[in-house]
Amino acid sequence: MSLAFDILLTIGIFFTAAATLGMRDRVGSVVGFVVAGLLVALSWVRLGAPDVALAEAAIGAGLTGALLLRSSGRLKPVERLISPPSHRFIVALIAAAFAGALAWAVYTASGAALYPALVSERLASSGVTNPVTAVLLNFRAWDTLLEIAVLFAALILVRIVAPAVPQPVALGELMLPFARIIVPMCAFLAGHLLWQGASVPGGAFQAGAMLAGGLLVLMLGGFAAPTPRLMSWGAMLALVGLAVFSLAALGAEVLTGTLLLYPDGTAKFWILGIEAALTLSIAAMLCLLFCGVPRRPLK
Amino acid sequence: MTSDLIYICAGSGLVGLALYRLSTCRDMLLRVLSLNVLAVGVAMLFLASARHAGITDAVPQAFVLTGIVVLVAVTAALLALAERVDGQDDE
Repeated sequence: MSLAFDILLTIGIFFTAAATLGMRDRVGSVVGFVVAGLLVALSWVRLGAPDVALAEAAIGAGLTGALLLRSSGRLKPVERLISPPSHRFIVALIAAAFAGALAWAVYTASGAALYPALVSERLASSGVTNPVTAVLLNFRAWDTLLEIAVLFAALILVRIVAPAVPQPVALGELMLPFARIIVPMCAFLAGHLLWQGASVPGGAFQAGAMLAGGLLVLMLGGFAAPTPRLMSWGAMLALVGLAVFSLAALGAEVLTGTLLLYPDGTAKFWILGIEAALTLSIAAMLCLLFCGVPRRPLK
Repeated sequence: MTSDLIYICAGSGLVGLALYRLSTCRDMLLRVLSLNVLAVGVAMLFLASARHAGITDAVPQAFVLTGIVVLVAVTAALLALAERVDGQDDE
């Protein structure tokens, strides 16, 4: 039964992705991508990774879809397939051979799994009981710190390139009742995901994406116009996560002599503090990546 | 084990599909889309090989989660650049 489900799901994902990449209509492509993203989130649940599924649905399908939809109207159309058929045929052969070799290599790869034993051995001292949160914010917190730095670097790039700020248009009478339900719901779910991330699937990234979704509804619905003042406050908020995380890293270095090794018994408070700052900051960064960062007018 | 094989095949298929589109298409939006599909394929291979005795290893899960967040940043940056390139063609 579950095997049949897996087969149907993967076939569905593959053909949705193929349709997405083969469609002539751009908006259709983006919608196909969002549908594929939701199916992929379902497959992450089947693969036993609900934390990743939440992030995929909120960020991979939701926010990436919004970004692509924004750009689909702005980019100029070009002829889709300029490669001659012979070229396409050869490329298809090479791609298929590569995919087959990849599947064979992954399937036949062997080796003992090192991490599960290490993670379960030290989970008790990590301050949280969700192993994924423990890896992200304790065992390999350095990776997560750099990840926030990458997000911030992307934000700086977007600020330099300065895409046009989206102008909200009037969306009709049903927008207000919709926002009244969806925006408080997003804020509520973000808090819930942040808090429960310590023990069950959830965490700062999922919560931040949820909050960003709510903020985008407010902005695109015309309830909170993206004024330069509001957006420079957002930019400040975007810095908070990186600042708090870096200070925590340095503070832990001073207290324990090792970067990001939290003092005994207090790991939970460090992790919650960092996660709370990250949630607000990730929400602000994702929003600003969508609507662009205003540049101060030159005097 | 069989269901792992299904996901490994699907992941490789998505990688192949994305590589094909990346090299036969000049539309910038579709290229960014292909990059996203490529990332999904790699993540699927990663997670399918992370299962041991019914439990999914937490470290690859954290890697894939990090990958998703980095990818949205990359997508936003690429789209901003693509819009700029298009705008400059007009001038």
